[in-house]
Amino acid sequence: MRSEIATTRAFGGTAAFLWTEVLVQAHEELAMATAMVTQVVLLVFVYILAPSLIGVALVGSVVFSTFTLGQRVLNEAAYIRIDHKATDLYLAGPMTAEGYFLGMAVGILVVYLPPVAILGALTVLVAHLSVATALLLFGLSGVVWLFAASIGYIFSTFFRDNRAIWAYASLFFNVFGVLPPVFYPFGYFPAYLRPVALLMPPSAAAALVQSRLGATVLSTGETWLAVVGLAVETTGLFVFAAYWARRTVRGA
Amino acid sequence: MTAEPLRAENLRKIYTVKGAPPVEALSGVSMAVHPGERVALLGRNGAGKTTFLRIASTLLRPTSGTIEVFGYDVDAVPERARPYIAVVPQEGKPFFHLCPREQIYTYLRARGLSRETAKSRTEESLVRMGLTEVADRLAITLSGGQRQRTMVATVIATQAPLLFLDEPTIGMDPFARREVWASLRDLTTKGSTILLTTHYLDEAEALSHRLYIVERGRVIVTGTADELKRSVGGTLKVVLPGAAGRASEFASFGETVPDGGTLTVIVAPERLGELMDLAVRSHLTATVGPVTLEEAFLRVVGRKIDEE
Ligand SMILES: Nc1ncnc2c1ncn2[C@@H]1O[C@H](COP(=O)(O)OP(=O)(O)OP(=O)(O)O)[C@@H](O)[C@H]1O
Ligand SMILES: [Mg+2]
Repeated sequence: MRSEIATTRAFGGTAAFLWTEVLVQAHEELAMATAMVTQVVLLVFVYILAPSLIGVALVGSVVFSTFTLGQRVLNEAAYIRIDHKATDLYLAGPMTAEGYFLGMAVGILVVYLPPVAILGALTVLVAHLSVATALLLFGLSGVVWLFAASIGYIFSTFFRDNRAIWAYASLFFNVFGVLPPVFYPFGYFPAYLRPVALLMPPSAAAALVQSRLGATVLSTGETWLAVVGLAVETTGLFVFAAYWARRTVRGA
Repeated sequence: MTAEPLRAENLRKIYTVKGAPPVEALSGVSMAVHPGERVALLGRNGAGKTTFLRIASTLLRPTSGTIEVFGYDVDAVPERARPYIAVVPQEGKPFFHLCPREQIYTYLRARGLSRETAKSRTEESLVRMGLTEVADRLAITLSGGQRQRTMVATVIATQAPLLFLDEPTIGMDPFARREVWASLRDLTTKGSTILLTTHYLDEAEALSHRLYIVERGRVIVTGTADELKRSVGGTLKVVLPGAAGRASEFASFGETVPDGGTLTVIVAPERLGELMDLAVRSHLTATVGPVTLEEAFLRVVGRKIDEE
């Protein structure tokens, strides 16, 4: 019997678990709407208080949307592990832990893509984005998503109780997504804190798009810091999340 | 290579708990499960059954000792052991927003089965576990027992070489339990090996070739259900109402248990005639029945508790 079975290749099971997660999440229509509440509220504020900044705010809302998907990954990963024992069921078997993580993350992205796409379309129209700028926005939003999904999954492994998560998750994602210059121009941020903002993926992505739009002036050094920061942090965190997913299949 | 499906040697597990003394859940467990066997792991709450199953199924690291699945060291190379196993976790639940049909099918696909195999196994498993009527209803609308059936159906459909089932029939009605038993027997005739835990002793008796009783992290008994029953002095029990005060007269036949006014004597079949003679001479009414595994379990574990 032993000889029949091969070991699983890396990321094995990703597609199947992606589909599982799409089916699971698609039953939560209301959650799709609530995923947009913060962004829409902030957009209304900006529209009333500073209508000239609506383009910048729209760009921020797209970046913020993919960033907060990390919070969905955090909640989902913790919930199905703790309440459903899904990791026991799925990972004590041939499916890989990194496939489970990535499948879940992409599944959540797929389901929440329609509302993000609506904001994206609105942004392109209202802010008059060129094709190149639009592609830059969507590409960077994708990078931000991968970063956030990785952090969400890693965080999920530290909780033993879902109730504890409610307190921390929204705090983290709001502080890093709303406080730094994501919804407002990068130039409004205190000068000495700019490098910090450029090292945070949501504000780095927003700043790069703002700079292309002419809404912000970034020095060459600042542009590089944002680009390299995004690339290194996201790659590093994703690789670590895949490793961490494997590592945490087994409790100590 | 003809490696045992499961072999554990002197397995120990100590949980460290923040702000409390460490818990020694397993204190040197050794066991082997042979190909095609159905083995039951029995023991009181907190005895260490789930801990053992979680270590064996690559979900928890042991503190010391060795454990192998089909010859692969579970602690050193868990990813080599995983393709061989499937687990029904204690208190696991299906996804609430999937229907049983979707749950089983997507799970099999995630394990790498082809579409066709996954589809036919899903249908087969739904029928087997009596889930066809609810196969397309979200699990959130299912009863507790139906959800548990879905969990078992999901895992049984894998036909994995080694299955770990932690209280698989909890909350199931007697019909469903028998469906599970039949499915598990089927799987072992097809070559799978099964290790399960249960608090239903009739289930352990009906289902398992062998059993291990664990108490406080140690194996205290291993053998067949019959051997366990014989170890308490016989496979028959004689119930003698109103004879509780006369235990000493019957003590030579085997273990005597006074309960209220009634005396129960556990006796080997060859001495039954003699005992019945004594009962008749003493003008006692006597009811003869088989010793159940539950009674043997209570005696054996009870003795162990008294010793400590
Ligand atoms: N995560 C943990 N941290 C600390 N102690 C634990 C942990 N999990 C289990 N224990 C302890 O280890 C012992 C064995 O627990 P285990 O879950 O293996 O028992 P069990 O035999 O499966 O019991 P049950 O029949 O109630 O399911 C118990 O004393 C339990 O309190
Ligand atoms: Mg248990």
